[in-house]
Amino acid sequence: MDIVRLEGVEKTYLMDRVKVPALRGINLSIEKGDYVSIMGPSGSGKSTLMNLIGALDRPTKGRVFIEGRDISKLSDNSLARIRREKIGFVFQQFNLIPRLTAIENVELPMWFAGVPKVQRVKRAAELLKLVGLGDRMKHRPTELSGGERQRVCIARALGNDPEIILADEPTGNLDTKSGEGIMRILEELNERGKTIVLVTHEREFGKRANTIIKIRDGRIVG
Amino acid sequence: MLQYIELSLKNLSYRKARAILTTLGVIIGITAVVSMVSIGEGMTKAVREQFEAFGTNKILVTSTMEYGVRGKGLTDGDVSNIEDIVGVEFVSPMYSVAAGGEFKGEEKVITVWGLDPGKAERTFSDVGGYRLLKGRWLEPGDRNVVVLGYRVHDDFFKSKVELGNSIKIQGEKFRVVGIFKETGDPEHDEAVMVNIDKLRELMGREKSVTAIVVRVKPGYDVDEVRQKIEDSLERRHEGVEFDVFTSQQLINAISSSLKVIQVVFGGIAGVSLIVGGIGIANTMIMNVVERTQEIGIMKATGATNSQVMRIFLFESGVFGFFGGMIGVLIGYIISTIINELAENYLGPGVLTTAVTPSLAFYAISFAILAGVISGLYPAYKAVKLDPVEALRA
Repeated sequence: MDIVRLEGVEKTYLMDRVKVPALRGINLSIEKGDYVSIMGPSGSGKSTLMNLIGALDRPTKGRVFIEGRDISKLSDNSLARIRREKIGFVFQQFNLIPRLTAIENVELPMWFAGVPKVQRVKRAAELLKLVGLGDRMKHRPTELSGGERQRVCIARALGNDPEIILADEPTGNLDTKSGEGIMRILEELNERGKTIVLVTHEREFGKRANTIIKIRDGRIVG
Repeated sequence: MLQYIELSLKNLSYRKARAILTTLGVIIGITAVVSMVSIGEGMTKAVREQFEAFGTNKILVTSTMEYGVRGKGLTDGDVSNIEDIVGVEFVSPMYSVAAGGEFKGEEKVITVWGLDPGKAERTFSDVGGYRLLKGRWLEPGDRNVVVLGYRVHDDFFKSKVELGNSIKIQGEKFRVVGIFKETGDPEHDEAVMVNIDKLRELMGREKSVTAIVVRVKPGYDVDEVRQKIEDSLERRHEGVEFDVFTSQQLINAISSSLKVIQVVFGGIAGVSLIVGGIGIANTMIMNVVERTQEIGIMKATGATNSQVMRIFLFESGVFGFFGGMIGVLIGYIISTIINELAENYLGPGVLTTAVTPSLAFYAISFAILAGVISGLYPAYKAVKLDPVEALRA
């Protein structure tokens, strides 16, 4: 079964009373365990597509299915629960909470899921070791390099063991070497069975995916 | 629950100066509430104790008019009438007047209480504060002797008046045979006590009585006796108003007017607490604006709206909690200082302020509540943020 399916999805933003179409009829399905890259120039609608797949937003028209469930009309709280259980986000800007240490950031999704502290800390530590930050757990984001921050972000995305990892330009703020490290981690996760959706405009990285979706002006072009 | 508290503390400790300043607003409010209420409580308690010392089995009869002035007011006849009422154990008439006093050539107006010498001790010994410091009470047969309130002995006149000295009242000499201990109430401490008949002679008011203290026999209903006294007075003096109070009624009346004072005190303090609450609201709104992106992160990682709500409400509640705790502590210190001052300047036991455990509990709960209420709007703002927009901030 497809883990993600989009049927005739349109998304229109209202900007100063002018309707700006971001997506104009997207049909798309992603199989469980696939490694997909979504590529396109900036303004093509790929971030909007990400937000819809990630249950952060609802389509203006059409339907979005996650594991066969239509999520396009769900309430805020139901969407939050889907994000918590099914999806792990990796952002270009890392989006770590600066006050919290690396391990506390990783604990966050588990915190919201109500995982008891002992289990939470244990799993967060394991995840940080998995991404090679076993010795950086008590560091705050500002004390970490860009590559390290992105690894914390990946560890956080794995908190509640989601099926889908959505990575939005995860290498965009990193040098080539760190970027390569991040790509390896993501690919390793894919080998372990996670579905990876990578949004990127970096051709070299994008081409490494099993399925490549090109998007332009809100439409899939190949 | 615990994890929310933990997270709030972490969030607040991140902006220490702002957290401290915000808490300060609540501290001031709660300090004001606690010290004001405790002073109010202390006043109520002090007054109650003085009246309770008077005894709940007593009835006080007074009249606004004086006998001899247009022939109305209480007289010796009323006293003997009341003596005949069933249930009355003991009746003591009083005649009080502001008279001309003189000591060593210094003349001052002084409050003089006239009492039946045989009944003086029985009437007043169990009234709060009427304890002898030196000498003795009035005794039957006493004519030109006087018992002094403490201040009259101490500093009412330029020189101290001691036992054995004589003071002049309305030009006539009275020998000092006793001095009362200080009661803390200037009305009592600056008065003197003499034989009622002698005083009325001096003032030319032979049968006049200003007040009658009645004691009810054990086993009789105080209110019933009061009613009988009222009826008897009405029969004798048509159209004249008398006040017949049981001590319980007096306690109730005074307590309720003190309650008003307490409410006013509490209201003033409450206003400062509202100001503290506005401070919290302000800080929390700033927090929400500053942490917009963080709210986006929380939502992206699976926080539901109610979880976001709770996080912000806990934070503002924690402001209230700490403000409340520290405020109660400072209020307690202030109330203790006031106690010390009252003891030094007004005398022991006159005003004992008290921060009771229930006052502390209510003050802290109130502070938390104020914090949470102040946080409602900012928390609502946080909940309403669109996750996509918030992440982009």
